[in-house]
Amino acid sequence: MMKTKLGRLALDSPITVASGTFGMEYFEIMDVFDAPILPQDKLGAYICKTITPLPKAGNPPPRIYETECGMLNSIGLPNPGLQCFLDEELPILLEKLSIPLIVSFSGGSVDEFCMMLETLEKAEGIAGYEINVSCPNVENEGIAFGADSDVLYQLVSRLAPLTNKELIVKLSPNVTDIGRMAKAAEAGGASSISLINTLWGMAIDWQTGKARIPRKVCGYSGKGVKPVALALTYQAAQAVSLPILAMGGISCWQDALEFIYAGASAVAVGTSNFTDPGAPARIYDGLLEHLKAKGSGIKDLIGTVS
Amino acid sequence: MIWLKTLPIVHAQRLNAQYTVLTVEDKDLAAASHPGMFCELRAPNQEGRQFKPISIYGVEGTRLSFFIKSVGFGTDALCALQDGDTLEMMGPLGNKFPVFAGKKALLVSGGVGYPPLAWLKANLPDGTTVIHLHGGASSEDIFDCDISCTMDGSEGHQGLVTDLVLPLIQEHGINLIYSCGPVGMLKKLTELSGDIPHFVSMEAYMACGVGVCHGCVIPVGDGFQRVCKEGAVFDAKLIDWRQL
Repeated sequence: MMKTKLGRLALDSPITVASGTFGMEYFEIMDVFDAPILPQDKLGAYICKTITPLPKAGNPPPRIYETECGMLNSIGLPNPGLQCFLDEELPILLEKLSIPLIVSFSGGSVDEFCMMLETLEKAEGIAGYEINVSCPNVENEGIAFGADSDVLYQLVSRLAPLTNKELIVKLSPNVTDIGRMAKAAEAGGASSISLINTLWGMAIDWQTGKARIPRKVCGYSGKGVKPVALALTYQAAQAVSLPILAMGGISCWQDALEFIYAGASAVAVGTSNFTDPGAPARIYDGLLEHLKAKGSGIKDLIGTVS
Repeated sequence: MIWLKTLPIVHAQRLNAQYTVLTVEDKDLAAASHPGMFCELRAPNQEGRQFKPISIYGVEGTRLSFFIKSVGFGTDALCALQDGDTLEMMGPLGNKFPVFAGKKALLVSGGVGYPPLAWLKANLPDGTTVIHLHGGASSEDIFDCDISCTMDGSEGHQGLVTDLVLPLIQEHGINLIYSCGPVGMLKKLTELSGDIPHFVSMEAYMACGVGVCHGCVIPVGDGFQRVCKEGAVFDAKLIDWRQL
């Protein structure tokens, strides 16, 4: 009933956790946390924080600000770099995970993306990749490749021949025509797409005139972005036949179901993990109960909005 | 353990228009809490909003209290809670103040930096000489302490707490400093403390509270450290204050 498929990957659950919101620090505390974090019997896959070729410290603080309806962030992809990920983090992930591991990565050039993928391909235990071409908070990685459909096509068409594993391209909502970007990913050889990364967002302290985040414009996520994410999921689903991993403001099972009707084959919980660490489990339970009552499986409902 | 609990408020004490002390009862949380630690708190009508990191003000038996200042929608909702209302909380989180025997300690707090130091003061080892210097904008920001300062002169010395630090260090032979308060105060205090060991409890906007999101970092050494995980208490000399 909850089984779904994301390109080459068969998932036991349509619920996953969005890259960057469910870092492996949770593995350190899961045994001492009095809440069901990382309920692997209820998650379809685990997507790690984005890895870059070299270590990144991230952006200067303050990095987050809570707005009226959602959250601004300018974290800046802090990560230990590819080599440390392979040496130190991957063994822990493989030991702890019983669900498919999807590695999110980014790079500063097409060659860097290719080097990352070729290196990751040599490691055992990775089920798929999420190519981050949509982070709004870094200068060189990611968004430089996700804002132009020709550039995106060039990148994906170089990456696709390098792997037989699931190849997800994570798209930015900050584009004029999401359908065009989805088609570029499809033509390049992606096996699925994920959306949305964060929207451009900004907050200003009206008393001082100072931006709340040093980089001024940053990423906006949480409840407020859900209608935008839903519309972009629908538009992308209309444009391509690739399966979609959708996310953007999902905080309850009803939200997850709306994304499935819009065209998602699976969904990811992101910002809600910070306001309710038990959200993914709660969303799974609610969705399962609903589907049982309805007598439908996920696959019957994908993209059936009327 | 990190507990995620919804607890009834056994006492909500409105100190003035800005500050409220909320007390809950829970033997697990009380036993695991130490001065310097904090909890993530949320009022029940704030579902979907982020928890707010609030330092623990004190533990008495199985009761924990939180001293909260209204500064935005999350803390406004917390300060409006009354006896019998519920409080969502996650904790205890972060590290604790290191303590040393036989020291002459100066505690310096500003505004809502008061509560962790007030609790630390009550828990320093026997034989510690302690002076708690506390400052704020006006008398509304002043609570029980040894020496107080206000910007408007409505209580205690008129001016900044940092105006009084050097004479106190010299007069009392201070050899340990603890602090919590606005960044400007902490920066100045770090300059003034010289070689004296100085531990500071830092404040930051926070999302997850457990080290996952990397949202609450401060510059430490040549990188960043998380206020929620490596802190909230840091060696003040390791913080790169120029970036704050």
